[in-house]
Amino acid sequence: MGEVELSCLAYAKMYLHASQFPRCSVNGLLLSSSAAGGAVCITDCVPLLHTHLSLAPITQLALTQVDVWCSQTQQRIVGYYQANACASDSSFLFVFSSPTPCALKIAEKIFEQCNNAVLLMIDGEKMFPGCRVPPIVMYERKDARWALKDKHTIMLRQWEETCSIVNQLFSSGDQALLVDFDSHLDDITKDWTNQKLNAKIMELVSPANGNV
Amino acid sequence: MSSISELYDVTWEEMRDKLRKWREENFRNSEQIVDVGEELINEHASKLGDDIWIIYEQVMIAALDCSRDDLAWSCLQELKRQFPDSHRVKRLAGMRLEALERYEDANKLYDSILQDDPTNTAARKRKISILRAQGKSSEAIRELNEYLEQFVGDQEAWHELSELYINEHDYAKAAFCLEELMMTNPHNHLYCEQYGEVKYTQGGLENLELARKYFAQALKLNNRNMRALFGLYMSASHVAASPKVSAKVKKDNVKYAAWAASQISRAYQMAGRGKKENKCSVKAVEEMLESMQITMS
Repeated sequence: MGEVELSCLAYAKMYLHASQFPRCSVNGLLLSSSAAGGAVCITDCVPLLHTHLSLAPITQLALTQVDVWCSQTQQRIVGYYQANACASDSSFLFVFSSPTPCALKIAEKIFEQCNNAVLLMIDGEKMFPGCRVPPIVMYERKDARWALKDKHTIMLRQWEETCSIVNQLFSSGDQALLVDFDSHLDDITKDWTNQKLNAKIMELVSPANGNV
Repeated sequence: MSSISELYDVTWEEMRDKLRKWREENFRNSEQIVDVGEELINEHASKLGDDIWIIYEQVMIAALDCSRDDLAWSCLQELKRQFPDSHRVKRLAGMRLEALERYEDANKLYDSILQDDPTNTAARKRKISILRAQGKSSEAIRELNEYLEQFVGDQEAWHELSELYINEHDYAKAAFCLEELMMTNPHNHLYCEQYGEVKYTQGGLENLELARKYFAQALKLNNRNMRALFGLYMSASHVAASPKVSAKVKKDNVKYAAWAASQISRAYQMAGRGKKENKCSVKAVEEMLESMQITMS
């Protein structure tokens, strides 16, 4: 299908989310602030859960709240990401990056509203320092199922810069600022839209490169 | 790089006490345990007396969690030297092999413990953890069920089993495990709330009413449980919207939902007071509550 662009902000927050809960499966929603049509530009993400991904009430609640927030901020939900806690035993290969039934279900829901929705799996095995390859695998809806996307249609602008920004966030301790929806429910004074962290990341993104 | 004691201005006794607190409350803050424990071991070992052995164990497990095999190895050596034939230390050696993903070697070690002592629950549970780490959920579930037939009072095992069932979307069996846990822990609001979530997920009028009751129970036990509050709102709203209920049931559930909604608004107002970034969260909740009202009718 079409091209997908992943911004530094979205990537950084997903990565931080997975790193904050290394023993749990985590998930979240991918957002876009660009108009529909053409390439899918994932400009931001909202980290959702790190517990009980396959239970309905909190997922429904989170989807509703993010929907409302998106309409207030001119963004759209264009995809879903998940990082599994352990390798899953589906499809003969013990891989970290196969979508679980829960991931497929939520991605389907999103596809109902957005016909070029993206399902992104974070590959835990590739999340080590010095890894050259982005630890992500993307799926798109093709012929009534979710198929692996051609790597060449996925664009990560300024990959090196993004990696260095993530490293900077870890060394400054700012990665601890990340709040997901689950943490928000534990303490509702915490901001699941991560305004503070977003600002810090945007500061680090080099202004000379313009669009991220 | 300055030491923990310098950074936080604490004495070695305070560090030792902190480690004890984390041990007793079963916290898994492994990075902190490694930072504090490593310094304690390196600088103050002689002052710790017999406490040092349990600290070695605690730090070793935390080190494995943080991929600090160097530290884990040295702790293990000290423990092996002091307790050469101990099953407890053998289990730690097994955990290190697990951390290195040498699952076959780890299993061999645990099997040798079980040959010596078939009632060793720790070794059995580690074997089940290996199955889980390898993604072999159905086998893990089977083994855990067998384990629970023998050790029916093991809370940790019941909870682990409920988590496994939830991951496999087997909500009925997850509910059963949570029922066991609620029976033995009637004051634990988290189990009530989780049970409510499972029932809600199963869906259908009966389950939604049950879910609402358990969310309400969770709130009785802890009125600050936001998940239970939202759960109550959502399940009551769904019941009220169902065409199968009598006028009275509908009326009652509208009342419950309205109460929950007001509590939610109140909680967010109090949380949002003065914090600019929370304003959008508060507004989102208001709009969400409104939008859910619309779908109800």
